[in-house]
Amino acid sequence: MIVTFPHLGPLHIVLKALLTGLGAQVLPPPPTGRAALELGARYSPETACLPFKTTLGNFIQALEAGADTILTCGGEGPCRLGYYAAVQRELLRDLGYSFDMVVVEPNIASVWQALRRLTATGGWRRAPGAFRLAGAKLAALDAIERAACLARPRAADCVDAARQQAVAAIDAATGPAAAAEAAAAFRRRLAALPGQDGPEPLAVGLAGEIYVMLENYVNNDLVRLLGRMGVAVRPTMLLGDYVRTHILRDSAACRRDRAVQALAAPYLGHYVGGHGVKSIGQAVAMERSGCDGLVHVFPFTCMPEVIAKNILPGVSDRTGIPVLSLAFDEQTGAAGTMTRLEAFVDLLAYRRKKLAGG
Amino acid sequence: MPPLVGIPRGLLYYHYGDVWCDFLRRLGAEPVVSPPTTQAVIAAGGRIDEVCLPVKAFFGHAAALTARTDFIFMPRVVSVAAGHYSCPKIIGLPDIMRAAFPGSPPLIAPTVNLREGRRSLYRAAAAVGEALGRSPLASVYAWQRAWRLRRRPEEAACLAPAGKPSVILAGHPYILYDRLLSMDAAGKLAACGAAVVAADRADPRAADKAAAALPKNIFWHYCRTLAGAALAFLAASPPPAGVVLLTSFACGPDSLVGELLRRQAERRGVPFLLLTFDEHTAEAGVTTRLEAFTDMLLRRRLP
Repeated sequence: MIVTFPHLGPLHIVLKALLTGLGAQVLPPPPTGRAALELGARYSPETACLPFKTTLGNFIQALEAGADTILTCGGEGPCRLGYYAAVQRELLRDLGYSFDMVVVEPNIASVWQALRRLTATGGWRRAPGAFRLAGAKLAALDAIERAACLARPRAADCVDAARQQAVAAIDAATGPAAAAEAAAAFRRRLAALPGQDGPEPLAVGLAGEIYVMLENYVNNDLVRLLGRMGVAVRPTMLLGDYVRTHILRDSAACRRDRAVQALAAPYLGHYVGGHGVKSIGQAVAMERSGCDGLVHVFPFTCMPEVIAKNILPGVSDRTGIPVLSLAFDEQTGAAGTMTRLEAFVDLLAYRRKKLAGG
Repeated sequence: MPPLVGIPRGLLYYHYGDVWCDFLRRLGAEPVVSPPTTQAVIAAGGRIDEVCLPVKAFFGHAAALTARTDFIFMPRVVSVAAGHYSCPKIIGLPDIMRAAFPGSPPLIAPTVNLREGRRSLYRAAAAVGEALGRSPLASVYAWQRAWRLRRRPEEAACLAPAGKPSVILAGHPYILYDRLLSMDAAGKLAACGAAVVAADRADPRAADKAAAALPKNIFWHYCRTLAGAALAFLAASPPPAGVVLLTSFACGPDSLVGELLRRQAERRGVPFLLLTFDEHTAEAGVTTRLEAFTDMLLRRRLP
């Protein structure tokens, strides 16, 4: 059994640690790129949303490379993600691949079943260690991502080089201590960078649909682009935040999540699936925390985020925070994203100067 | 003078419109349903970004009512059955309305979420009554009486035994029965010589069974009904000569469920035509495709 899974930011590093620890053989798909996007778009329904297409591309590439088991998620709606697996299975079968699909539904029985299917004989003894290592890697990856987003305006090239090394070190780490040490070393390198006491860079929050926020190929490397324009990015949800809030249901993370959703209540009074409510809440939260603006990203035709997009202009009017909504699909060009971000950042710089009375 | 309560002629109006009108009348209000869709209505709803055509038309209808009603009735229908959801856009309607039409009359927007049990429905009925100055008890009673009016589907349709090729026309009622949105696809098909059977006339029990047989439950209620009905017809013997699915661009549920339907039809050797509508769809294109489809069905019947 060779297990593969869809990409979602640094998920492959974490899942590799977990599943290898449980005794499974793992083959992550090649990083999401043009090949995955083109393959996925060719075989997907035309108006399916972008993550459906790219993850289908991931699966095809991994199956071609020799994987025979797909680990993916289910769901109960109303977002389309919950129905991905059912349709992707049919598509891949019709393409002639033979494989097992392990679909994790959001309930404890399904998680348990999936783990049992993926765990090799005798793997259970190593399970606590595997979970600890995966958890440590996840925490370390989140920590370096947050730090890199804030430090990039000062020295983008150094930060990116150091980040790449740190991610590789975390991927290679065999124990929780080594993963934590890689993150600590990264932070020490950032602290040694010059330019600490320059003017405060512009700060922009990043909110929206998690897949587009985390997959850099899909979002045209938006976080790094902003960093190179001298903007410190504050991601509102990284992989670890998602795992803590939606899978582990960690009480502190859930409390933060509820607080953000409460901020959205005057604008959007009900859960609409996915992260729609949070995108609105984060706009309010970012304004309160002194952010200069918010970039809201989502796959084209994403149902929950389209609702948020139609409500955000009102939030922006009432609170004053500038909001840029960007939809991504297979037609999105890097130059278009770049131009819009540049215009937005110019506007934010002008607005800050005006607010300062200059 | 009774308060005028506007009901946009779109989306769930096509499922529950009669009941809503009767319910509001029983509460002493005068329901005002917006006139049928026109190009101007779609243009007025065009200020809502990136949503599907029926949602744009819905807000166009709502905009037409803002100037001449005291309230607008826009329930937030989260779920009408345990384990099911409406489409997210239907859940978010009142919020988009408030954001996009700040000058509109007050909304009557009770939340109906039967995932939380039937009490949610009674609370919603009471909330409507409260807005119109009625007691909770009277409101729930009015709802119960109005619900009985719910149009029973006519007797389940059968496929034409011989003669014309029978074509199953599937699609959300708010597209199918809106002559402008669907560009009268039903009439066009009939004019081409097909015996058109609307999928929603399938036997509801057979439809439910067909939907339940899918490997994964379709959690969008209205899409599940639609898919179940089409699948029930596909499983009939003899199967229909063809299936036409009307959908709108950017419809999330249909983008995946339509794909499942297409595969099911093709596996049974039944031709399948997907017609996707948006505000740029040209009538000539629709006509050509329907003509070509029926021509093909007629030729298949030749020996």
